Amino acid sequence: MTAYIARRLLLLIPTALGIVVLTFGLLLLIPGDPAAVLLGENSTPESIARLRQSLGLDDPWYIRLWDYFRALLTGDMGTSIFQGQPVTEIVFGRLGATFELAIVSLILSVIIGMTLGVLAAMKQGSLIDSAAMLFAQLGISMPIYWLGLLLMLAFAVILGWLPAIGRGEPLPEAIAAALSGRPQVLMDSLSHLVLPALALAANTAAIISRLVRTSMLEVLREDFVRTAYAKGLRRPRVVIRHALRNALLPVISVIGLRFGALLGGAVLVESIFAWPGLGQLTITAISQRDLPLIQGIILTFAIIYALVNLVVDLLYAAVDPRVRLG
Amino acid sequence: MKTFLLTLGTVAALALMPMQPAMAQSNDTLVVGVDVDAGTLDPRLARDTTAYRANDLIYSGLVHLTPNLEAVPDLAESWESPDPTTFIFKLRDGLTFSDGSPLTADDVVFTYETMTDPDFNSPIRSLYSPITKIEKMDDRTVKFSLSEPYAPLLSYLDIGIVPKKLVEGGRDIAAEPVGAGPMKFAEWKRGSEIVLEANPGFWGGEPTMKKVTLKLIPDNSARAQAFEAGDLNVIQSPLSPQDINRLAADDRFGNVIIPGLAVTYLNFNAGDPLLADPKMRQAFAMLVDQETIVNDIYQGADAIANAAILPSSWAYSADIKQPAFDVEGAKAKFAELGWTDSNGDGILDKDGAPLTVTIATHSEDPNRIQAVEYIQAIFTQAGIDAKTQLSDWPSFSTGYVLKGEHQIALLGWVNIVDPDRLLFSQLTTGGGRNWGGYSNPQVDELLQTGRSSLDTADRIAAYQAAATTIAEEVPYYIISYQGYQMFYDKDLPVKVEATPRGNLRGLIGLKSD
Repeated sequence: MTAYIARRLLLLIPTALGIVVLTFGLLLLIPGDPAAVLLGENSTPESIARLRQSLGLDDPWYIRLWDYFRALLTGDMGTSIFQGQPVTEIVFGRLGATFELAIVSLILSVIIGMTLGVLAAMKQGSLIDSAAMLFAQLGISMPIYWLGLLLMLAFAVILGWLPAIGRGEPLPEAIAAALSGRPQVLMDSLSHLVLPALALAANTAAIISRLVRTSMLEVLREDFVRTAYAKGLRRPRVVIRHALRNALLPVISVIGLRFGALLGGAVLVESIFAWPGLGQLTITAISQRDLPLIQGIILTFAIIYALVNLVVDLLYAAVDPRVRLG
Repeated sequence: MKTFLLTLGTVAALALMPMQPAMAQSNDTLVVGVDVDAGTLDPRLARDTTAYRANDLIYSGLVHLTPNLEAVPDLAESWESPDPTTFIFKLRDGLTFSDGSPLTADDVVFTYETMTDPDFNSPIRSLYSPITKIEKMDDRTVKFSLSEPYAPLLSYLDIGIVPKKLVEGGRDIAAEPVGAGPMKFAEWKRGSEIVLEANPGFWGGEPTMKKVTLKLIPDNSARAQAFEAGDLNVIQSPLSPQDINRLAADDRFGNVIIPGLAVTYLNFNAGDPLLADPKMRQAFAMLVDQETIVNDIYQGADAIANAAILPSSWAYSADIKQPAFDVEGAKAKFAELGWTDSNGDGILDKDGAPLTVTIATHSEDPNRIQAVEYIQAIFTQAGIDAKTQLSDWPSFSTGYVLKGEHQIALLGWVNIVDPDRLLFSQLTTGGGRNWGGYSNPQVDELLQTGRSSLDTADRIAAYQAAATTIAEEVPYYIISYQGYQMFYDKDLPVKVEATPRGNLRGLIGLKSD
């Protein structure tokens, strides 16, 4: 097991290198000059040329790539052209917010998706089944962006129950505050988190509910389930203890895949709900052609994605004893 | 199963329970929605509206521009111009920065010297290019020497004065600014908000509002909704036309809807062989239906333009006319120039080549995309093989228009505090922003007169004559004057005074001097 984890972690290095080369190449290809964006409407060709030189943009691409690699080895992802701060600092400053949003969304989507899927499978063909699958259809087809605005309109503008935008205290701090007798801090954090997390969760919840329904239907027809009933076990116990555990497998593997989609969806959700995470930063960085920052964000996303998939594979082995890692 | 459902139900109920949202702002706090995060809060390097707005509160300049764009004393209590190339500014007595340190002529000299240093890479350096020397005469007196008379200078001297000692001592004012404005910097959560507090040491007295928060919400519609939900006290342009109409009809909110300082225009590339002849540009311009673009696409948030001078400017004239929308007239003009549909395929041609043209804009603004598509439709009706090209702003601007690779491009100019700012470097021969390569010696001379004459009547005559020629020769076709909109919570404890630049000093309750 340890050897397996070590090997997977080592594999991260070539993956990261590949990603750096790929994004570097893409950024070379897209038109648009950060120096010109930086200098804005009053720039002149001379001032742009001068700035390009001082930013090192005039060096040949292989020198820039080499410099980038060398710095990367020391954990230095360069300096943002626009903010003038180290990319590492900017990215890590934002990572927590995105992580919080993505993880809470993931938890929400698992809860919603599994509940709907299990209910739909148990009452196959009933009204509950149709309603759950209608929700799934909507969740899959509705653009996150639109859903976000709709949720905001309903719960913040019309009902006024939840704040429309922003973030409260980071969740770990808020929980600590609640434990030390200030529950309102946690409530505030949660109230900010609900809408963006729901908007982000809908799509994954929908996919999970359909998966769970299908695999539950299959499992419920298996011999061991019939045996369980024959033993005289009651229905809820059969469903939760015996069927659900087996139906969970596809869900776990989909979580790993969906985590990437959640990070991607966060880009949109964050800019709607003014959630100060990496997603929002990505959009700004691209629109400004802040090359080191774009590079740093993509690299971070990729590493997180790889790590999450590693965790998912380990989980998979834990849930299904037939799977052996190595 | 039952417990599972019960737990789920509780979680759902908790999630949806009306929590007391943390939006109840105290009465002396102003929360303003902004569309972009500031890049830097160093006024010499600022380049986005959020930075301009924050800096206008954190810093003070020699002068301050009123809503009518008139320069009035700010840090300078008075100034004189003994000759057309010299300006002498006298600072107020006892000025201090928000950290308590004194503000003197040294700080003024330092601010302008760094800003005009090419290696400092200030994005606004070119505005100050006629300045040859900035000297301290005594602690409260500064002298600006110019290479030539430069009338717009005063409108550009509102840039914030930075503290020399602190900056030279290594303080990063881009991240932790210190100025002498009515508010002082408190906190900047990047990607989220900038918080300012009242500056009791401001020369004009402490403002009524004790706290100003600029909250970042990039999406226009989300920002409008957050305002309606009560999370924000103020929002302003850019807003979607649909949101503007809805908010304007809501009597909970006060609104200011005035002409802004920006234009939306078509940039005709005079260097393109097809468009080199002014008559060709005129014919294309006659196919631009301003009325539909302004009233239907922009839903009346902007106004139809008639010339390359803003209606709010002292130089404006309603008598200048650009080519009017006239499809038949345009066809006749094309025919006159030899473009007819000789092979009956529905597309005009000349010497066997079809009349093909590309109209481009950037993909961030849906209204601009719609305008370009609409223009394309009319071009097509008139027998032109019209193509559109859309790409994101950096590709469109620096990768395309700035290189002069466009034929017709739809874009805008902002911050036109003086007619010079829209015309001089854009339309004089060899001007830094003359991407279409337009050249007319007569226009060059008029625009030079406009910037160097210190007599307003002469300037007006020069700009009107130049704008008349520009309207005839169409290197620029000004589609609309962009409107500026601001919506505010009616319960604000201050008298609201808006400025077309979107600055916020009129919202913080400054004591009038």
